[in-house]
Amino acid sequence: MRDAVPDRVIGAALGCIGRWGVAKTTLDDVAREAGCSRATLYRAFPGGKDVLLRAVAVREVSSLMDSVRARLDAADDLEDALVGAIAEAGRIVTGHAALQFVLAYEPEVVLPELAFSGMDRALRAAGALIGPHLTRWLGPDDADRAAQWLCRLVVSYLTCPSPEVEVQDEESVRRLVRRFVVPALTAGLDHSSSGGPGCRNEPVAAGR
Amino acid sequence: MAGSARRRLLEAGYACISRYGISKTTVEDVARVAGMSRATVYRYFPGGREQLVREVISWEAGRFFARLAEAVSGAGSLAEQLEETVWFARRAFLEHEVLQKVLETEPELILPQLTVESSRVLPFVRAFLATHVTRADLRAGLGVDEAADFLARLVLSYIASPGSWDLSDRDQVRQLVATELLAAVGPGPAG
Repeated sequence: MRDAVPDRVIGAALGCIGRWGVAKTTLDDVAREAGCSRATLYRAFPGGKDVLLRAVAVREVSSLMDSVRARLDAADDLEDALVGAIAEAGRIVTGHAALQFVLAYEPEVVLPELAFSGMDRALRAAGALIGPHLTRWLGPDDADRAAQWLCRLVVSYLTCPSPEVEVQDEESVRRLVRRFVVPALTAGLDHSSSGGPGCRNEPVAAGR
Repeated sequence: MAGSARRRLLEAGYACISRYGISKTTVEDVARVAGMSRATVYRYFPGGREQLVREVISWEAGRFFARLAEAVSGAGSLAEQLEETVWFARRAFLEHEVLQKVLETEPELILPQLTVESSRVLPFVRAFLATHVTRADLRAGLGVDEAADFLARLVLSYIASPGSWDLSDRDQVRQLVATELLAAVGPGPAG
């Protein structure tokens, strides 16, 4: 259950950032947009703009993770799960006004979170949050690794667009999933037989 | 000659960045190190300091991958080429003092550019990997270009962010190549 005020403030912040970006959005702008006083805003986010921005990022990433997990859980088979989840992530990211503004005009605000060690952190989070929702088809270690691998792919196609793969389009994603992703997950990510990190020598329930 | 003057300026720009960092590198520094006038610098880089920095980064990124291509040019099979590429590239990335220093002290000044560069570098890595792809490497129905594109994306990703993999361990590199790269494009155990 989300608190009404912080949620409204975060929504307002997203609206402002989508229009003006992070640098030009002031707390007064956000308070006005949220229809609350600055005092109310500060009570919800003591510490000001930085705290608010972090809360915005946390909420939006959580929301993305929730949507991806829901798509995985709703699917009947591995292919549908992957296609649905990737396309959903693609739709959410490409349609996100605030994120797209920042990526276009203030990339230094977001890219450190997704590059080099920032990416390592994101991969670990993807493994932990998404991995459990792949265990219907993959063993637990393979599922964690698969979630990280999928995260790499999605970030790559979103940051280096390809004419052949549109991450928000299900048909395009299905082609990618059929040609590369399912073969890799059902044949390749079987660490149990070949050792390596996270190997637990357990049989893998692949493609069931 | 225009070509060598521009190159001298890029080298000077790189030398200044390695000495002072990006934010403290000025057009005056670059001009002085290159033995040219400020006016000359602006003639080659009308966008000034910002353009010069962008082009130095772009130039060094190109040189990095050219060095990599040179280092792994002897590799034989696709598996070997991928293993050598991941191994050498990760080491070269970690040992690149200027890059590591900038990433540590002024990441926001280089990360946007590097993201743009990875789009530019991708076709280069793709073409370079494609030279070692044979039909025997690929599942029926997969084309060389699309397989090389898929592999190149992942290779760039691993070099920058190994995640759970320890890429200084050759066994792990072999494991990564087999299970996360070749498994996606290869014919698999059934042939």
